[in-house]
Amino acid sequence: MFFHIVLERNMQLHPRYFGRNLRDNLVSKLMKDVEGTCSGRHGFVVAITGIENIGKGLIRDGTGFVTFPVKYQCVVFRPFKGEILEAVVTMVNKMGFFAEAGPVQIFVSNHLIPDDMEFQSGDMPNYTTSDGSVKIQKDSEVRLKIIGTRVDATEIFCIGTIKDDFLGVINDPATA
Amino acid sequence: MEKGGKGYSLPSKGLKSSLKSTPANDASIKGKDDSSAKSKRGRKVQFNSEADKFDFLSKSNGKLDAPAAKGNLSKGGKGDRISNIGKAPSTKEPQPLELKVEQEIPKNAKCLMHCEASQILHGIQGQMVLLSRDPTVKLPVSFDKALHYAKTGARYTNPQSVRQVLESLKKHGVSDGEICVLANVCPESVDEVFALIPSLKSKKNMLTEPVKGVLDELANLKQQE
Repeated sequence: MFFHIVLERNMQLHPRYFGRNLRDNLVSKLMKDVEGTCSGRHGFVVAITGIENIGKGLIRDGTGFVTFPVKYQCVVFRPFKGEILEAVVTMVNKMGFFAEAGPVQIFVSNHLIPDDMEFQSGDMPNYTTSDGSVKIQKDSEVRLKIIGTRVDATEIFCIGTIKDDFLGVINDPATA
Repeated sequence: MEKGGKGYSLPSKGLKSSLKSTPANDASIKGKDDSSAKSKRGRKVQFNSEADKFDFLSKSNGKLDAPAAKGNLSKGGKGDRISNIGKAPSTKEPQPLELKVEQEIPKNAKCLMHCEASQILHGIQGQMVLLSRDPTVKLPVSFDKALHYAKTGARYTNPQSVRQVLESLKKHGVSDGEICVLANVCPESVDEVFALIPSLKSKKNMLTEPVKGVLDELANLKQQE
């Protein structure tokens, strides 16, 4: 789910960036520093949408650097346990399949794929029901439910399930 | 960190099933196994002969066995819970996995529906073209992915009216997070809503009518577009 949120960060700026462009420099450094990062609490920082407030700078002892507390608004993307997402399948193997929802990777284990779907190997590996009516393969769109998340510095990784009512393939590239 | 642990819980489920037999066997062979296995290291001298006995039983997977036994027996609750999470979707456990967005995000955050996010991100992308004189500032890959995702996920073109329609559910106690999931998933029937958002089930009687109304209105909105 996307969020709009106000975050705060202490920015250290080298004196060579001071002057009439100080604010611009501060903002572009902020963008470089935070956009694309992620945290467990907020998820992916997708984009900064505005600066609320830049506080008074504080000179750091011993260096020329000055620390500015910056409050900024940003759009973040964070998956939640229990959330329903629509994701695009990126890889299928006998362990299950990987899918992508925006910047987030999701793995659906074969234990969490309905029992009537069997793995078929080949150059286009897929999961198919016995009557062949439903097929999950690369580029399929699936609706899944997040049941676990893991966050590291640059990536969010989720475990999902499609073993429930109203979950599963929503659009099959082969038939479309 | 806890999240990380949970994230891993699923993969370990496969592992656990292969190990499941060992702790169970141990327990049936010797009831006191788990306690002595734990104290094995500490009191090796006293229980030397006994320790040897189950060393031969569990030496090969002794390393794995000990944590497994700990997980399953001493912290039995946790082990159970993990397997519940795995099974919850299929077998309607008493505590299905519920969406608790409000408890997990800071107070000042506002949930965005895909259509809203898509509008905002689109605006930013437009600005970036102007701002990109500074070549060192560029949008990260995750931005493009998020924008693409928001765009494809957006079912409606007019976020305000969707928000207005869904906002009416708020007075029935539906949370912001649940409203956003509703807007993003775009369910077709009332049953679908309650199946996908189990946290609403407790208020099912009260919500059925309003949800039905909202779904009809949303369908109308979509047709107009």
